[in-house]
Amino acid sequence: MKANSLALRLFVTAAAWVLVVLPIAGWIILAGVRHGVLTALDKEISQTLRFVIDDAEEESEAGPVAPNWGDARFADTHSGWYWQIKPLDGKPTLDGKPAGPLRSRSLAGDNLPLPSEQGVEPDEKEIRWANLTGPAQQVVRVAEIIHQFGAGNSAQRYSVAVAGVLSEAEDDLTRYRDQLIKALALAGVGLLAATLFQVRFGLFPLSKMEQGLAAIRSGAAAKLDGELPSEIKPLQQELNALLKSNQEIVERARTHVGNLAHALKTPLAVLLNEARQDSSPLARKVIEQADTMTAQVNLYLDRARMAARIGVIGRVTEVGSVAESLIRTLDRIYRDKELAYSLDCPADVRFQGERQDLEEMLGNLLDNASKWARSRVSVVVAAMPVALGNVAAGGWFEIRVEDDGPGLTAEQLSEPIKRGRRLDETKPGSGLGHSIVADLAYCYNGRFEFSRAEAGGLCARLTLPLAT
Amino acid sequence: MRVLIVEDDRDLNRQLVSALTDAGYAVDAAFDGEEGWHLGDTEPYDVVILDTGLPKMDGIRVLEQWRRSERKMPVIILTARDRWSDKVAGMDAGADDYVAKPFHMQELLARVRAQVRRASGHAKSDIECGPLRLDTKTARVTLNGQPIKLTSHEYRLLAYLLHHNERVVSRTELVEHLYEQDFDRDSNTIEVFIGRLRKKIPPDMIKTIRGLGYRLSQAGDEG
Repeated sequence: MKANSLALRLFVTAAAWVLVVLPIAGWIILAGVRHGVLTALDKEISQTLRFVIDDAEEESEAGPVAPNWGDARFADTHSGWYWQIKPLDGKPTLDGKPAGPLRSRSLAGDNLPLPSEQGVEPDEKEIRWANLTGPAQQVVRVAEIIHQFGAGNSAQRYSVAVAGVLSEAEDDLTRYRDQLIKALALAGVGLLAATLFQVRFGLFPLSKMEQGLAAIRSGAAAKLDGELPSEIKPLQQELNALLKSNQEIVERARTHVGNLAHALKTPLAVLLNEARQDSSPLARKVIEQADTMTAQVNLYLDRARMAARIGVIGRVTEVGSVAESLIRTLDRIYRDKELAYSLDCPADVRFQGERQDLEEMLGNLLDNASKWARSRVSVVVAAMPVALGNVAAGGWFEIRVEDDGPGLTAEQLSEPIKRGRRLDETKPGSGLGHSIVADLAYCYNGRFEFSRAEAGGLCARLTLPLAT
Repeated sequence: MRVLIVEDDRDLNRQLVSALTDAGYAVDAAFDGEEGWHLGDTEPYDVVILDTGLPKMDGIRVLEQWRRSERKMPVIILTARDRWSDKVAGMDAGADDYVAKPFHMQELLARVRAQVRRASGHAKSDIECGPLRLDTKTARVTLNGQPIKLTSHEYRLLAYLLHHNERVVSRTELVEHLYEQDFDRDSNTIEVFIGRLRKKIPPDMIKTIRGLGYRLSQAGDEG
């Protein structure tokens, strides 16, 4: 999963939710269970307290008697369950004996600590509740009520207390908590795994879309095809509409540029031809200015064409067929020179870009080579083993156009290619050809340079992105 | 030599007519694609200068229709559309050369001369026939190295015969290639000019082939 990805965002959000919600849910469940367990304990203790009072009142006139209902918990020593009836007023019983405390056998003669001794106030049912340390250091829940036993002179108040062991309930709760934590941890891991799967499965159409867009960029597809989920189908439709509109805009811009060229260049041709027939200062000024205008028109037409090209994606051009048609054209234009053209181009080399751009670059190079060549011009195209700094999806290829003309001096070869700079003034030309090639190559992150050809002439080398 | 100019811009058309007439060509002008196509389809031109952005019928379509109907005259495309894709499309449609606007008139004239020469099978810009020599670049004719003074019509006739030397050229062919469409074509005029030329060059160089026409050949060659 990549950083700053939708998948990571979805996963982290879900994981954070699981990590926050599960402990809170665990705490709520545990608190509920604890409350339930303690309430049940309190209920049992208060019921037992009622039983103890009822049983002890059998002979009410004589005072309380030890209740005996055969519950083994109150018989086993230090079982954690105790009862105790303790006189508070110090009166003797009916038979004149001093009233002593009655205790369950489980207390084994020990005294049960009482909430009243701790200063605990009674609740609305007159019962005092407290968690106290009882016999054998057990933590017990003690309920105590003041009840009057006996009648007449023997009537006196007794503290009746029942205790139930709390540590057992706490142990149960601890065991329950441990199991709950394990169950929740397992649920958490399960949820995270399910989230991961959900994210991958849910986002799969997006990666399909990514592949589709890559195919468009590489020229393998013209639009985003395939059945996509309803949520991203509108996006697919919008992208396809955008691609179509983009192509239409480019075509329209090209047409306008072409029309502009026609609209401007014909009047310029008229002006120049008219002025060249005259030698007055005005005519010279017109020629000078019209030449400047021509250069400017060419410069801005080139820029407009390049601007129209920005954002155009998914175009792939067969290099071989472009080179063949250009050679055919130049062979006719330079037929008087009877040049021998040769082309060595593997069939699978395709340029990732516009056909018109490749024609413009290769056309200018071939035109220049044909202009200077004595007898032959060669074009060699090869996929490049070494990648440039900027990585094109399919790598790079090189076009080498060589002639057997006079070539350039070492000094000229080392000079950078500038717009309008003519390397030799002895042949006609605007000097724009090479700068157009350089500008276009730059547009494609490619490279354009000169070197000395094996035959002694000029070798122009053009490196361009190769289509996959 | 007869040239057709198909260019919708009236000023440029006028300039081309003027420059080519001054250079010794018989020039016809058309201002739209349909008119241009009709003239090119019916008249025998030695060269056509064809604009691509024409009203009524695009220049490339005009050219394609000519080539489909076997009209083989050299065609130079003259256009503001100077991209290589346009050049390739033009040459593939059957053009012989391509000149981008704005252009130098001298360069265009050189291209026209080259096409005329090439169409008549001459590789060099100088055409020789015995002591006669035509420099197509300067439109000058010399006899044994000495310039001959020729009128415009005499030059056209001699230049045509020199381009097609050693071949019998009919009177009709001469009329068709030396005069504009609107010219009052009287073949007797040709005979008058042949007569004048015979006075300026060795008289036996232009032979009359009875019933067929004329042939320019080296002096003394009985062929």
